[in-house]
Amino acid sequence: MSDQWSDRLSEYLDGDLTEAEHLAMEAHVEGCRECAETLAGLRRTVMRARSLEDRPPAHDLWSGIAERIGTPARIAAAPRRRRIAFSVPQLLAAGIALAVLSGGSVWLLQPSPLTIARPLVEVPGDAPVTQVGVGTVKGYDAAVDDLERVLAQGRGKLDSATVRILEQNLAIIDRALAQARQAVAADSANLYLNSHLAETMRRKIDLLRQAATLVSAAS
Amino acid sequence: MTRTRPGPVTLRRELTSKSDSDAVDAALAASGDAHAFERLYRGHLARVHSLARRMLDDDDADEATQDVFVRAWEKLGTFRGESAFGTWLHRLAINVILGRRERRGIQRQRFLEGEGIMETVPGRRTQPETSMDMETAIARLPEGARQIFVLHDVEGYRHEEIADMLGLATGTSKSQLHRARLALRQHLDR
Repeated sequence: MSDQWSDRLSEYLDGDLTEAEHLAMEAHVEGCRECAETLAGLRRTVMRARSLEDRPPAHDLWSGIAERIGTPARIAAAPRRRRIAFSVPQLLAAGIALAVLSGGSVWLLQPSPLTIARPLVEVPGDAPVTQVGVGTVKGYDAAVDDLERVLAQGRGKLDSATVRILEQNLAIIDRALAQARQAVAADSANLYLNSHLAETMRRKIDLLRQAATLVSAAS
Repeated sequence: MTRTRPGPVTLRRELTSKSDSDAVDAALAASGDAHAFERLYRGHLARVHSLARRMLDDDDADEATQDVFVRAWEKLGTFRGESAFGTWLHRLAINVILGRRERRGIQRQRFLEGEGIMETVPGRRTQPETSMDMETAIARLPEGARQIFVLHDVEGYRHEEIADMLGLATGTSKSQLHRARLALRQHLDR
């Protein structure tokens, strides 16, 4: 092993050599056992570095940060969100319900004789992705109201687990919508946040549309 | 009765991605919402603290991590969402950590003087290699070599970026990285 080659093994490993240098190094390593072993060792070292896992500190640091940014202590001492635990049967039921919903969703996307002849509710097309503002997209509230009414009227036709998952997902979206509206209110010129709000609104329409169609299919 | 068809799951339980919620929380935090900022802190604490621990000493990591989040709180108004919040925070963390080192005037051997630099690291022949062995070995590298190794091999920055951050020539970054790898390899292959 000579310094001429060994000193550049990392550059070879990182692809930082020119094509000619790379080929020359490749030829050298094939015939130099010491360089080949060193290269293998360097490669292992890099792999280990890339697989290091991040760990939190031994103790929480929030109270010190809260104090320094002038946040009331109650934030630091705020109770953590309660963990929701499910039993195995509950998880199984949720899994089955999700599969049922998923099957329904796939069914919706497939052209088949079972496809609903007319849309249940006319909803607006794609919302603009920018500058939707804190208010609403034209027709959005009406479409949401119509779809929610269909779901409310037909929820008795769906099994309880399906309804529960639908409601959980709607609650998640509603929370995201509330946060997105707050964020846009705080920074109305932020195109990303406006786009995110529009996308979240679309997600709610999509979910309600799927739910309404499931109600129709179950009728 | 509900119709079922086999197929992939299309109705997802997790309906918003982490980057979406981070961007929302960042905007809320920028408007003074400390709860939103605490959510950001919880979501990124492990990564920031691990970076601080690897770049500095264990003793400094907690304080440096606090500095990073305090600085992030002060600078939130400059986050415009062009990149992911995590990317923005990570770059800010590096600046804070490097600035902290300079302010403290840490006088240590910046660069490896020779491959025997790791001789002071206790060998671990009898123990299987674990990530903690790697963490320990990284911590024993001289500071300059350690920072270059962490930034390049752990964090994925390019030599040009590292050279810019540390005020070095690109060639110096490359040569120090190579020597750091050789030293770590010697230790880890014992």
